[in-house]
Amino acid sequence: MESSAFADTFDAWTDSALEWLSDNGEFLFDLVRTMLEGFYEGILWLLELPPFFVVVAVLAVAGWRLVNAWFGALAGIALVICALMGLWPETMSTLALVITATSLALFVGLPIGVIAGFLPALDRLLEPALDLIQTLPPYIYLLPAIALLGYGPATALIATFVVAMPPAIRLTSLGIRMTPHEFIELGHAIGITKWQMFFKIRLPFAMPSIMAGINQSLMMAFGMVVIAGIVGSGGLGETIYGAIRTLDIAKSIDAAIAIVVLTMVLDRITQSAARFAKGGTP
Amino acid sequence: MANIDANEVLIDCQSVWKIFGEKAPAAMKAVAERGLSKKQILQEYNCVVGVSDASLQVRRGEIFCIMGLSGSGKSTLIRLLNRLITPSLGKVLVKGKDLSALDAAELRQMRAQHIGMVFQSVALLPHRTVLENAAFGLEVQGIAKAERNRTAAAALEKVGLGDWLSRFPSELSGGMQQRVGLARAIASDPEIILMDEPFSALDPLIRRQLQDEFRQLTKELGKSAVFITHDLDEAIRIGDRIAIMKDGVIIQVGTAEEIVLNPADQYVADFVAGISRLHLIKAHSVMVPVVDYQRQHPNSDIGSLVKTTPEADIDALIGLTMQSDRDAIAVADNGTVVGVVTARSLLAGVKGTPSHEQAAAA
Repeated sequence: MESSAFADTFDAWTDSALEWLSDNGEFLFDLVRTMLEGFYEGILWLLELPPFFVVVAVLAVAGWRLVNAWFGALAGIALVICALMGLWPETMSTLALVITATSLALFVGLPIGVIAGFLPALDRLLEPALDLIQTLPPYIYLLPAIALLGYGPATALIATFVVAMPPAIRLTSLGIRMTPHEFIELGHAIGITKWQMFFKIRLPFAMPSIMAGINQSLMMAFGMVVIAGIVGSGGLGETIYGAIRTLDIAKSIDAAIAIVVLTMVLDRITQSAARFAKGGTP
Repeated sequence: MANIDANEVLIDCQSVWKIFGEKAPAAMKAVAERGLSKKQILQEYNCVVGVSDASLQVRRGEIFCIMGLSGSGKSTLIRLLNRLITPSLGKVLVKGKDLSALDAAELRQMRAQHIGMVFQSVALLPHRTVLENAAFGLEVQGIAKAERNRTAAAALEKVGLGDWLSRFPSELSGGMQQRVGLARAIASDPEIILMDEPFSALDPLIRRQLQDEFRQLTKELGKSAVFITHDLDEAIRIGDRIAIMKDGVIIQVGTAEEIVLNPADQYVADFVAGISRLHLIKAHSVMVPVVDYQRQHPNSDIGSLVKTTPEADIDALIGLTMQSDRDAIAVADNGTVVGVVTARSLLAGVKGTPSHEQAAAA
């Protein structure tokens, strides 16, 4: 069959390209792997340094201050339940993975978003690329990453990083483009410089949109980090994957509950932080 | 109006054109060479003429109103005065400097220090307090926080918002927000303030109050202002001189009295038809010459008439006539009687018959 011959050729090319990359870029990929894992382990170390109730207290207080007292109390109780289920170390490594991948995604995504906000041409170029990243099944990122970086957290981080980046770029670019016209005119009329225009006018107006982008990135990262359990990410994702393989339904539900709790707590806290950025009250 | 210095022109706008559209330069050239009309430019070049051959001078201490309906080009014209819009042809000189010859830094400095601007949309930054908004112009000039806050607080005090410094714009009414906009403009102490329909969105009572306050404040501080409005009453209330615009062209420039008494064309005449003349028309426009009066009233002794100045308006003249037992008032300039206002000439002034016809009738 002709179509399969075509597919075979294409597959052969892809395989040899990956092989060539991993052979010739070994030094580079080792470096990336070391750096990613170093960053991840640093954050995990910080999270595991205090006893679990300190971390719970910090998140509960953040929930109380940023959302409300009810949410703070609820978040505290839910997190204590995670610990009682014996999943505290896994919960913390999942949190560390999410924090690491999201920080990297923001570190790269926010500046790209700002530049795209100023350059409509770049924005048009990025649009299909971001659409592609967001529509591809998330598993797709895992295999090439495994080929290049091997089994372990580094692969999970790269895949999560890729998935978490698009919302940060999109919503930052949108925010920068949405500055109301009259404020641009005001800036010019009072003799503002280009940098002042960015920091004093465009950025404050873009802030709510940027914060929404950060929140969305975080949510995408949570989704991916569970899937990345397959490649040995560690944390709750791996717990769920292990439970699926052994058909340990109870355990998989425990881990799922822990994921939901962690996701909801961080979602609400960052959403409220976004409202703060808007200048409103929580 | 004694503080207007006729000799010092702050803004000199010389035959300025603005054409909008992709082919604006070609359209501009065609206008200069072939004298195309607005309609032809739209048909041939698909360009819109915003401002067409506008010339005006704003003197130190003067409030200059530009009145026109929407689409008349008045908002474009005011933006040409601080180069928010660059003219297609012609020159704008501010304090003797050609704006198009300034580089980016010089233009910034000119806008920051010499030309304030107040917008119809107010444009107060929502995440900043009233004080921070008023100090914004000084902040971007790099003035230290303590000093700029002091200056901005003083400016807010002048517009009557001294007690609102730490509030946010959303807590203020529309009129108060516009006062903050004015405070922001005067905080940098510019000689010129550009007002782009600042009071149009306010309700009538607040609008009148702000008009009076604005005029008083501008005169008190010795500023010059260019004030855009679509409301002729507002232009008359505020302006020392008024320019009337239509379809991008300045049709007439003059004092309110000149425009009401001698409208340049039917368009202006229709506009001024509904205007109350009581405070507009002055004695020097309605008086009849002394000789004419004496011919009609040979027995009347002019020396014994109540005297007033040429600047007294109709409202004041009516008051004087009613208090006096005579039916005429002598108009004296520096002690010499230059004319006589009679009951008949007063009525003609109220009705709006031009003074020369009135003289002929008398």
